[in-house]
Amino acid sequence: MSATLVDMGSQDRRTDKDADFSAYMSARQPALYRTAYLLTGDHAGAEDLLQNAFAKLYLSWDRIRDRGALDGYVRRVMVNENNSLWRRAWKRREHSTDTMPETGTTDTYDDGMGGALWSFVQTLPPKQRAVVVLRYYEDLSEAEIAEELGISPGTVKSQASRALAALRARAPRSLNPHETGDAR
Amino acid sequence: MSNTPLEDQVHDALHRRVDSIQHAPLTVTDVRHRARRIQRRRTAVAGVAVAAVLAIAIPFGLSATGSGQRSDVPPATQPPSPTPTLQLGSTVMVDPRGAEVVEETPVPLLDVDAPSLITPDGTTDLPHVYDTITPYLDGYVGVALNDQPGVPPVAIEFLGADLRVDDGGSPTGGLIVSPDGRRIGWSEYDGTRWRVFVADPAGQVEWVETTFPPSAETETVIPVGFVSDEAVAVRAMYDLGDTKTFVAGGGQPVEVQGLLQADAASPSLGVVAGITEFRPQGTCFGVVDAIARDGDPVWTTCDHRLGPFSAGGAYVVGISAEADGNGSPTITVLDAATGKEVVTFEAVLPRRTVGGFWTQMAWVGDEALVVRMFSGDDYFMMRLGLDGSVQRIGIPSAGVSGLQVAVPS
Repeated sequence: MSATLVDMGSQDRRTDKDADFSAYMSARQPALYRTAYLLTGDHAGAEDLLQNAFAKLYLSWDRIRDRGALDGYVRRVMVNENNSLWRRAWKRREHSTDTMPETGTTDTYDDGMGGALWSFVQTLPPKQRAVVVLRYYEDLSEAEIAEELGISPGTVKSQASRALAALRARAPRSLNPHETGDAR
Repeated sequence: MSNTPLEDQVHDALHRRVDSIQHAPLTVTDVRHRARRIQRRRTAVAGVAVAAVLAIAIPFGLSATGSGQRSDVPPATQPPSPTPTLQLGSTVMVDPRGAEVVEETPVPLLDVDAPSLITPDGTTDLPHVYDTITPYLDGYVGVALNDQPGVPPVAIEFLGADLRVDDGGSPTGGLIVSPDGRRIGWSEYDGTRWRVFVADPAGQVEWVETTFPPSAETETVIPVGFVSDEAVAVRAMYDLGDTKTFVAGGGQPVEVQGLLQADAASPSLGVVAGITEFRPQGTCFGVVDAIARDGDPVWTTCDHRLGPFSAGGAYVVGISAEADGNGSPTITVLDAATGKEVVTFEAVLPRRTVGGFWTQMAWVGDEALVVRMFSGDDYFMMRLGLDGSVQRIGIPSAGVSGLQVAVPS
């Protein structure tokens, strides 16, 4: 490779950029991986989803001036990608029915109820599932979710409402709002 | 726990599921490879900033074939240049052993046995043998030759800046580069059908894709040259029926009449050259208009098999119609507009020695040809100027296979 043709200024800028990007990746990868895992439900899918999102962030690094918005950018890419048609098709193959999938694990903190709920979350349509993950794992408000996903707050509210209704319908009686006092 | 509100239970369930996960499986290198693949496949125009992000270094070969880098290629609207100083119809004897030796190559070369790519700017080792290779994005795209079972023997491959193969592997009918270096074109078989792609090696312009009807892999689609800035002429080989010529400029291919086999094309002239007729006394060749597509030859010759057009479209190579596996004893440069002979290069061979010129060659603008010549067991890379100059490119090769042009015209 000829050094004489290399634009040294561009290379310096790229080195800075790579250092910044690397630092961000190092700091945020575990947390974003967890979100990816919740969106996909498996490690291979999570890794693929996160790698794709990081790659798009890498391509857009210069254009994102607000470094505080980076996590939101990555989450938006992951959600949109996970919702895309081919991934949904792939998901349908993975979850072809509404039957509760095998959890393979028992939640030792609540007699398996957490594991059961996780299984039900995996049966939700991708958009509802994304709202559930952002709302109840990332603890974002409906307005923040709306802004992050580029949809209206009303859509967020309705997706969340449908998701909770579906979870109630599929969950054991112990999660029935009339029995648990959860009337929201 | 069972009496907490559902939303709290969902919150707890999600956190319990993942809070203990501390996976960080990705490296920046993984991400950069993925980014390069995304950029390559994007259907939207990739911005300059994106290209800058990915630009690890400007590949050295870009100066020869990269976007807008070639200074030796005149615009299509300019008149042909230079006018040969030789008398029309002259013959120039090519004796590699007595020729002036130059240490630099005007076009990229492949050292087959190394394998490596040699350009005016340096030498790069390649991961394996390529028939053709040219800069693409921050790496290269090439036609790889494989001899392992279960792998396409001829496949398109995309290499990153680190020369690692990170995409491709599909069967291909070949890779071509436009004379101005601003576009590349290749064919791929996707398991069902052949597709032809025209792409910007700098990655800043949307791909143009042409899709052929479903066919067998053996019915290969071979790009033979550009007929315009964005369209290539291809030769489609069919298991049954004649070979056909198409223009692949996006969407569906458009058939071009008048040729039994397409061999070359010129974007400056918008023409395709090839075989026009098989006759008992010999084969005839001609040039047809790829734009009008009326099938009427612009001109024909039964004396020369037609080879590549010069970059500006002024000239076209005529190989001896008697050329065989031993090569062509002569190369005649013809006026591309009329078919008239301009200059003939004749190989000087020792007595009782078999030899000649390879038909795979590259133009240096409209000024010269770089061609591999062999004489007995010896191979030479020669620069043949239309002004009558003959030079031997004295770059040593790693083995007996010698050198060949990396991007045939």
